[in-house]
Amino acid sequence: MNVPIYAVENLVIDLYTPTVSVRAVDGASFHVLAGETVAIVGESGSGKTVMTLGPLGLMPEGVAVDLHGTAKADGRDILRLSPPELSALRGGFFGVIFQDPMSALNPMLKIGPQLARQAQLYAGLSAEAARREAVSLLARSGIPDPEDRYDRYPHELSGGMLQRAMIALALAARPRVLIADEPTTALDATVQAQILALIRQIQKEDGIAVVLITHDIGAVSVLADRVIVLYAGQIAEEGTAIDVLTAPLHPYTRGLLASVPDFRSNTASGNREIPGIPPNQAQLMPGCRFADRCDLVQVSCHIHRPRLQTVGLQTVASGEVPHRVACPVVLAAEGIATYD
Amino acid sequence: MEAPAIDARGLKVHFKTGAGLVRAVDGVDLTVAKGAFHGIVGESGCGKTTLARAIIGLQSITQGQVHINGRDRAEWQAQDRKGFARAVQFIFQDPLGSMSRRQTVGQTLEEPLLIHGLGNATERRARLAELLDLVALPATVLDRIPRSLSGGQRQRVAIARALALNPSLLICDEPLSALDVSVRAQIVNLFARLQAQLGLTIVIVAHDLAIVREVCSSVTVMYLGRVAEQGVTRPLFADPAHPYTQALLSAVPSPDPRVEANRPRILLAGDPPSPLNPPAGCRFSTRCPVVEPQCRVTEPQLRAVSHGGQAACLLATADRHVVI
Amino acid sequence: MKNWPWLILTPALIFVLIGVFAPLLMTHNPSTQDYSAVLAPSSWSNWLGTDYLGRDMYSRIIGGARTSLVAMVFVLVAALVIGVVIGSFAGYVGGRTELVLISVIDIALALPSLIIALALIGVFSGEAWSWMSDYWKMILALTLAWWANYARMSRAVVMAELQQPYIEAARVMGASHMWIFTRHILPHVLGLVVVYASADAGALVLAIATLSFLGLGVAPPTPEWGQMLVDGMSYIEEYPSLVIIPGLALTAVVISFNLLGEAFALQKVPRAVRGGLLRRKKAARAVEEAARAQTEAKV
Repeated sequence: MNVPIYAVENLVIDLYTPTVSVRAVDGASFHVLAGETVAIVGESGSGKTVMTLGPLGLMPEGVAVDLHGTAKADGRDILRLSPPELSALRGGFFGVIFQDPMSALNPMLKIGPQLARQAQLYAGLSAEAARREAVSLLARSGIPDPEDRYDRYPHELSGGMLQRAMIALALAARPRVLIADEPTTALDATVQAQILALIRQIQKEDGIAVVLITHDIGAVSVLADRVIVLYAGQIAEEGTAIDVLTAPLHPYTRGLLASVPDFRSNTASGNREIPGIPPNQAQLMPGCRFADRCDLVQVSCHIHRPRLQTVGLQTVASGEVPHRVACPVVLAAEGIATYD
Repeated sequence: MEAPAIDARGLKVHFKTGAGLVRAVDGVDLTVAKGAFHGIVGESGCGKTTLARAIIGLQSITQGQVHINGRDRAEWQAQDRKGFARAVQFIFQDPLGSMSRRQTVGQTLEEPLLIHGLGNATERRARLAELLDLVALPATVLDRIPRSLSGGQRQRVAIARALALNPSLLICDEPLSALDVSVRAQIVNLFARLQAQLGLTIVIVAHDLAIVREVCSSVTVMYLGRVAEQGVTRPLFADPAHPYTQALLSAVPSPDPRVEANRPRILLAGDPPSPLNPPAGCRFSTRCPVVEPQCRVTEPQLRAVSHGGQAACLLATADRHVVI
Repeated sequence: MKNWPWLILTPALIFVLIGVFAPLLMTHNPSTQDYSAVLAPSSWSNWLGTDYLGRDMYSRIIGGARTSLVAMVFVLVAALVIGVVIGSFAGYVGGRTELVLISVIDIALALPSLIIALALIGVFSGEAWSWMSDYWKMILALTLAWWANYARMSRAVVMAELQQPYIEAARVMGASHMWIFTRHILPHVLGLVVVYASADAGALVLAIATLSFLGLGVAPPTPEWGQMLVDGMSYIEEYPSLVIIPGLALTAVVISFNLLGEAFALQKVPRAVRGGLLRRKKAARAVEEAARAQTEAKV
């Protein structure tokens, strides 16, 4: 069954503030299959959060948003839904975990009831069943003594426990897609490892799809089946995790990976820098957005916008996954012609 | 024998809070040689930031002494505050917060020179140009305010400011945490270059173990207010003696998914205990996968272990140690 | 956009200029009485007519401006200095000193400034104070009644700024407390206090007029608007101009200072919120131009 459970196509997202307008996402497409984990990798300003949470209506405050394209959740285009419809669908279809657990948990309410309510609303369970479900979710998320924790308030839990409680909350509504927005960035190394292991275990057991938004290559390496690399609102490269992380094609991906030290290698690693800084997205020049920082740059890079094209194919359990890159120079080196 | 850059003995920093006594740093000995690039690692609550701040005097010490370049730090600072500032400087975790938001970069960089009366206007301008050159920033940043700069640029400004007084010792509190992944490499390389160029001793509090392994010559691993292990970086990371260090290193993922999928992993149970109520005996005993009865009773002291450094584990000796 | 605060500044500025150059602007001596031209309507010699003692209204208004201005400036500057010093000291030093000072400030704030001023003037009416003129008694009383608010504000700003990491950074650099205070904290304090003071000026002028109205401020024949209001009360039915003219002057001054205060306050509001549709369009156009230029250059 390889129909994507969530598929976004030609997404264009414009953001407006009183002073500036920015095209945060410029024609990106991605999909995720049930039971698969897709990592969306990028740094601040790449648009990774906007691209993933934008179609769900979870945009930052004070910003006007304009969305184009399609985003199909199980076939239904959520961009065409009215806010109440979207809200109803969002709860039961998508579960979201954030970098900060307090974005999801209400500090004024006990933890257990918050989970139970989700289960009642979206999974249609009775009050009694919802309570049992909540306790079992807490246990499943690795929270010791879940019966006791059910009646506790968020401030009574440590950071790692809160993160798990948030995961439990996201799961309470029995979502089909779990979106994790930088779930490990604020955590200690050992807790990070635990949370990543938890997410992987949940995915294996429930067969849900996971979309991981992060700039932490380590987290990608642990969880992701496929990777999408985003730079300044455009997809630079995509493919299986192994393809992208061990044989990166796009100069940005290569630069990014070269700047992350490999803990276990005996050669010096992680010392390469990408010169310069990301572009100001309010004042974009035509052509490739990475051109100013790229070591392979040619004259045509400043004129023509690069298109994503396939370089190779990997066969995995779920089917074939193409390795695509948006860089005419690399594509030319691989013998693939590019036309704009 | 030259005096070490930092020599701290029996350092304790305790806070009285409403909830009780927080033993943030609870008996730490730390020696950093001149010219070293020393990393202090550990997780939240281990006291590494408090330790760094206590060393430079931003945090008052409950017990113990700190000697910097052979002099008692508290005395030195009390007698000659400015002289001390010219020898030891600090980089804060939040580069934006550590600079006045109303001042331009030029004013921020000039401030230490003005405080210490170093040079006239022309000489100061020249020094500013030198500093910008050191941190690879263009002269155009002088007229900008910190908020308009990127994270990496802000940190460079903070570093330039710290170097303005020509210190011999630089202490940095998580200087990379607020930065994007690819920018971290830039700043780390900058530190390494500055150290080589200026002969600085650098102490860096960090939680990115991979980076520490790349650039630090020596490292201290802290757990719950005490030192778990310390020594020369590569040998230590290659063969850690303390079970906590082993778990910590195991938690660091590899950027190669194939390696990641196949390597053995140590997962610790639960969260670190709180510094309000450290466990009796070895502090790691509540989570240690190879804990023995004696560990819950006796608090281990640092002693020599096989990689040439020291570890505080009852089961680790100079010949052998537990491998999880 | 840079111009409009200056526009708002104008009425207040006019008041200040009038006050400063009063003697040059007067047509007559404001105290000279002329029984032959009592309650005269406006004419070429008396632009705003005369009052019940034949004194030229125009010159009295101008004179009143100076009286109010002098008093206002003295009180404001003195109250500001006292308030900022006490408040900043309390905020910076902390501990028991701060607690003591806060109590003093709170007591001073407990009652409305005018009541305190009235009470103080009552105190100053004793024998020991007879060497001071009523005018200066009023100024002293108002100063003592006015400083507390500035103290409270200063303390709040000082406390907020001290939390900021950059203060610690300055200490690490070897800066003395005095350096940190004057270079980093005081500008913030003054910034806020000046905004408040600019609006407060209007209230102060009103307070001065009120005290004089109650007979507790300026003594005749010194011209003062509040005093003029009192004087004109008896003639309000037949010669309302005696009351209207000083009333309008007072209103105009209070409004102009309120506007000034608002203008200063708005300056602090970041430009982002004040809108920039025009700027955005210009930016977009600039980008397109640049893009076109680049493309042309390369091709």
